[in-house]
Amino acid sequence: MNPIVAKALEEGRYKLLEHESFELLRQYNIPVPDFALVQDVNEALKVVKDIGYPVVLKVVSPDIIHKSDVGGVILNINNDDELRNACDRIKNNIKEKAPYARISGFLIQRMVPEGLETIIGATKDPIFGHVIAFGLGGIMVEVLQDVSFRIVPITEEDARAMVREIKGYRLFNGYRNMPARDEEAIIYVITKFSELLSDNPNIVEADLNPVIVLERGKGAYAADARFIIRSV
Amino acid sequence: MEEQKAQSQEGKIAEVSLVTASPLDLLFNPKSVAIIGATPRENSVGGVITKNLLTRFKGKVYLVNPKYDEVNGIKYYKSILDIQDNIDLAVIAVPAPAVPKVADECIKKGVRIVIIISGGFSEVGEDGAKLEEELRRVVQNRIRVLGPNCIGVYNAFNGLDTFFLPEDRMGRPKPGPVALISQSGAVAGAILDWAARRNIGVGLAVNYGNKLDINESELLEYFAKDNRVKVIVMYMEGLKYIGEGKKLLEVMKEVSSVKPIVTYKAGRTKAATGAVKSHTAALAGNYEIYHAMLRQANVIEADNLTDAFDMAKALATQPLPRGNRVLVITDSGGMGIQSVDALDIRGLQVPELSESLQEILRKQLPPLSVTRNPIDLTGSATDAMYKFVLDTVLPTSYVDMALIIALMQIPGLSINLGNYIIEAKRFNKPIVVVSFGGNEYVAKFESNLEENGIPVYHAPHRAAKALWALYEYSKIKGVAKEWW
Repeated sequence: MNPIVAKALEEGRYKLLEHESFELLRQYNIPVPDFALVQDVNEALKVVKDIGYPVVLKVVSPDIIHKSDVGGVILNINNDDELRNACDRIKNNIKEKAPYARISGFLIQRMVPEGLETIIGATKDPIFGHVIAFGLGGIMVEVLQDVSFRIVPITEEDARAMVREIKGYRLFNGYRNMPARDEEAIIYVITKFSELLSDNPNIVEADLNPVIVLERGKGAYAADARFIIRSV
Repeated sequence: MEEQKAQSQEGKIAEVSLVTASPLDLLFNPKSVAIIGATPRENSVGGVITKNLLTRFKGKVYLVNPKYDEVNGIKYYKSILDIQDNIDLAVIAVPAPAVPKVADECIKKGVRIVIIISGGFSEVGEDGAKLEEELRRVVQNRIRVLGPNCIGVYNAFNGLDTFFLPEDRMGRPKPGPVALISQSGAVAGAILDWAARRNIGVGLAVNYGNKLDINESELLEYFAKDNRVKVIVMYMEGLKYIGEGKKLLEVMKEVSSVKPIVTYKAGRTKAATGAVKSHTAALAGNYEIYHAMLRQANVIEADNLTDAFDMAKALATQPLPRGNRVLVITDSGGMGIQSVDALDIRGLQVPELSESLQEILRKQLPPLSVTRNPIDLTGSATDAMYKFVLDTVLPTSYVDMALIIALMQIPGLSINLGNYIIEAKRFNKPIVVVSFGGNEYVAKFESNLEENGIPVYHAPHRAAKALWALYEYSKIKGVAKEWW
């Protein structure tokens, strides 16, 4: 079992914290934006010098699953003033919408440039084990259910078929003024994600949402990740 | 009984093709079978099985039932333990509570595999489940079990037939290259009856019931090894044991690299999702996972069982196409259009022929014919025109397979058209025929084709699906290349 997962289970937690999720992805060579865990605004102002603007600020709490629902995420922060302001706003939002949530700190991460937003999810089925889902972000997955599934472990060929069988696949080849996307990069992320799940039977649910796919040759980044764990 | 002992020609071929006498070999190809719960009462489960085996099984049959000594000159044994000879396979059709004891006797007798037909186990609730657990403790690691609560095995090659549906109700298919694995016994019975009436050769069929021991994976592995089987059709509703999906995926993937598997998964509506789940979990409705598994395992998925058999018929008889381009020849413009629709929906192409090739066709065909592809010979079509088009176009590199529509009601066509089509097999490209109508002449035309390895379909969309299955399997085998 991965030490990050083991530690969380030991502490009786059922989810990984934001920085733990990123660290786990990083161990499997799944690209994540530069990030740091900070305790307060002063620390944030210090580390941002290395990370560089624009950044995203996220609340880190063992008690909150959907951060955006409680105003725990602020995107596109461009300077120190905006960063200070973002810290205050998140604190106030949490106080108001999730008053009992413990706050372990803030995750500050480099903002991934605009790209094609995709979702890679996983669930654990008692009969099949881990099942990976792939789809485009926004309404494509939830409303149109334009999703493909495969059972772990999945090969590169499986991942390629998964990407190509969704209806929205044409967007990968560029459309109107949108450039062609780095298909190989998303295929790589899916296969590494499969490897991660294979190694960690304790993960019962996971979402990489969004995984931002950049122009062809520029890669794909998991901009947010969520792992739910159980002791097996 | 002497007659029944004689091995048929097919039986001998089967024997040679078997690798080793594993328990599953004995399940399908036993030389001696004991029926426990045999009875002369014809309309009972045990009675139908008794009659099936006594009249058709090409091997030794031993009847076990303490109620009888001898009926019509055939001996009944009190217990399987009273039989002196070796028993390859025991069939148990006694009331559920007696099954554990009877199974234990089979073990003592040294029988290696048993089919438990009897119902009344986990499928009927808690008491049944307890009985099934008791049975499990008796048999585990001591004897292999098919069932309980199953209809068992049908083997057209050697007459082994535990399907307890009387022959006047359920036709028995002739020996042939299709094998059926069915999760439902009733569905298996109905589909065999359907296949028999349509003269489709289903050589082997099996239903595994409650799956106490032998499961889909093992049956697939057996059929992969059996040279008599060219295509495996699988009817499944759902898996039940923790973790078994992964195993089945692995086995399917391996088997489909050897021979095609066509599966119809019933129960496609999404299971309601409980409690709080992430949207991934909510989207992963039950069927979606099965669908993913089948794709991942290179299994060809059918939308229903007739489709599955339509595809199986083509997969069992046709060579694999190198691409997805179809030559359509028709004597009806309307049927031609329907075919193009059906092919296009499945991702197959009907390419326009080159001008030079069309020029050659135009010189020989009547002026009203259409030569682009579909090639419409119109109502003035003759056998010779079909032959000319087939011989001219099919061997060219413009097309990978042919869909031939022959509405035989046209006066210019005769039975001989079938022979021309059969001769076109020499081009080593898949050919399917669409024929429609009910008169005897049409029936003769169709059976001539089918007997000579050209599948016939009664609608364009069914023929198109069959070609699609061939193309899919061709990609799986790496014969056709995917053109992204």
